[in-house]
Amino acid sequence: MSFAATLVLMAEIWVWIGLAISALFLTIGIGRVDEDARGAYVFRPLLVPGIILIWPLVLWRWWIIETGRDDWAKRHQPPRAFHAQAWMVLAVVIPLIFLAALAARQSTELLTPPVLLEAPQ
Amino acid sequence: MSVKYIPVQWNPNKYVYDAVMLAAVAAFLWFFMFVSPDLLAHDRPITGQIRTARAFGACAFFMLTVILCIGPLARLDARFLPLLYNRRHFGVMAFFIALTHAYAILGWYFSFTPIETYEALLSTNTSFDRVRGFPFEILGLFALLCLGVLALTSHDFWMKFLTPPIWKALHFLIYAAYAAVIGHVALGVLQDGHATGLTVAFGLSGALVIALHLAAVMKDRRAGDPAASIAQDGWEVACHADQVEEGFGKVAVLSTGERVAVFRQEGKLSAISNACSHQNGPLGEGRIIDCLVTCPWHGFQYNVTNGRSPEPFTETVPTYDLRIDGAKVLIRSEPNPPGTYVEPVAATPANKDTV
Repeated sequence: MSFAATLVLMAEIWVWIGLAISALFLTIGIGRVDEDARGAYVFRPLLVPGIILIWPLVLWRWWIIETGRDDWAKRHQPPRAFHAQAWMVLAVVIPLIFLAALAARQSTELLTPPVLLEAPQ
Repeated sequence: MSVKYIPVQWNPNKYVYDAVMLAAVAAFLWFFMFVSPDLLAHDRPITGQIRTARAFGACAFFMLTVILCIGPLARLDARFLPLLYNRRHFGVMAFFIALTHAYAILGWYFSFTPIETYEALLSTNTSFDRVRGFPFEILGLFALLCLGVLALTSHDFWMKFLTPPIWKALHFLIYAAYAAVIGHVALGVLQDGHATGLTVAFGLSGALVIALHLAAVMKDRRAGDPAASIAQDGWEVACHADQVEEGFGKVAVLSTGERVAVFRQEGKLSAISNACSHQNGPLGEGRIIDCLVTCPWHGFQYNVTNGRSPEPFTETVPTYDLRIDGAKVLIRSEPNPPGTYVEPVAATPANKDTV
């Protein structure tokens, strides 16, 4: 099996596990971890694609809340400093990518002009 | 604000916001697909399918650029705050536009491969060791996955379930996605030496996003929230009482790194966390309206004496004990659990000259 085929297979397995977890979470878990979700059913199908994408995070948060380990203080500590650090890096990385790509660009004028081939006799 | 979750929370303002956004997207796509070919009279015209794919791709890129400009613009000038109000719908729309681009590309370039479509996408070009001919499709796929995570975890439930800091950390993927999109475009369509107009437009867009973010960072460093000074065990001086204007807040950064907002209501002072429980918006920059401070980002409201949203809403923020020592406002470093009532403290009126 090729590397690409393996990646596609892993993605499919990821999706199937995500579907199973979303069925479990949306029927049993969601009402236990969030009082605002109790009795609210119409919005739940909207969460399925998100659960499929990040199901390990969903399981981790479900476990944290169920076991009473949720730290309320952390809810109010936004990661503000990251913005500045991220944009210091991106201010270098983005122009670098852009300029490197333009430098690698080939001039189409220099390419050999197309030749009409004779049909084999 | 939430009581019971519903699929999409719309209101008249959001209808207007979404209508303007949809009209702009439709106008962009119409211009790109039907007007620009005749206007530009390309010497090497492309097929309709490729033009459609490029129209959606370009639209997604410029939407992403605008989305990334809104945050720093709102930090630089409060008049841009209304754009922030419904940015989530903007992001979800950008994802679906990008998804349409991907669908059109797969349908045109990978329809008749002898192997499975996605396998073909991942294996057609694996020249990761060079700039020229780099598999730019993978960068696009990565960016699409990031946008998917952002769009599909945009419901208010996710913010409450994951907590705003984790949700925000997850949504920092937007930065990686933007860098990947720049690479996807520059190593893809811009490799065509004839695409001068697109090259300039994409280059200027990237430069604008970087410039605005750096300007916002510099503004925050130059005129950021002042640090509180430690007074005695467990208490810190947040500000002077006469610096807090009636109906407004004054923000200070405690030694713990947390931001506290001191408000004056009917002459008395109260202190709550500066981070809104919805998206950690800056409550200290909000105004008190009808006895409630209103978050400038999305309009969530809290009673400043107990950090609770008005009934029937259930959001809460931590409160802080405070006392007056002469002209100084002292705050206890450790917050009270969210929703804890703290008796407001009488203080000298605000002096307009020192606010």
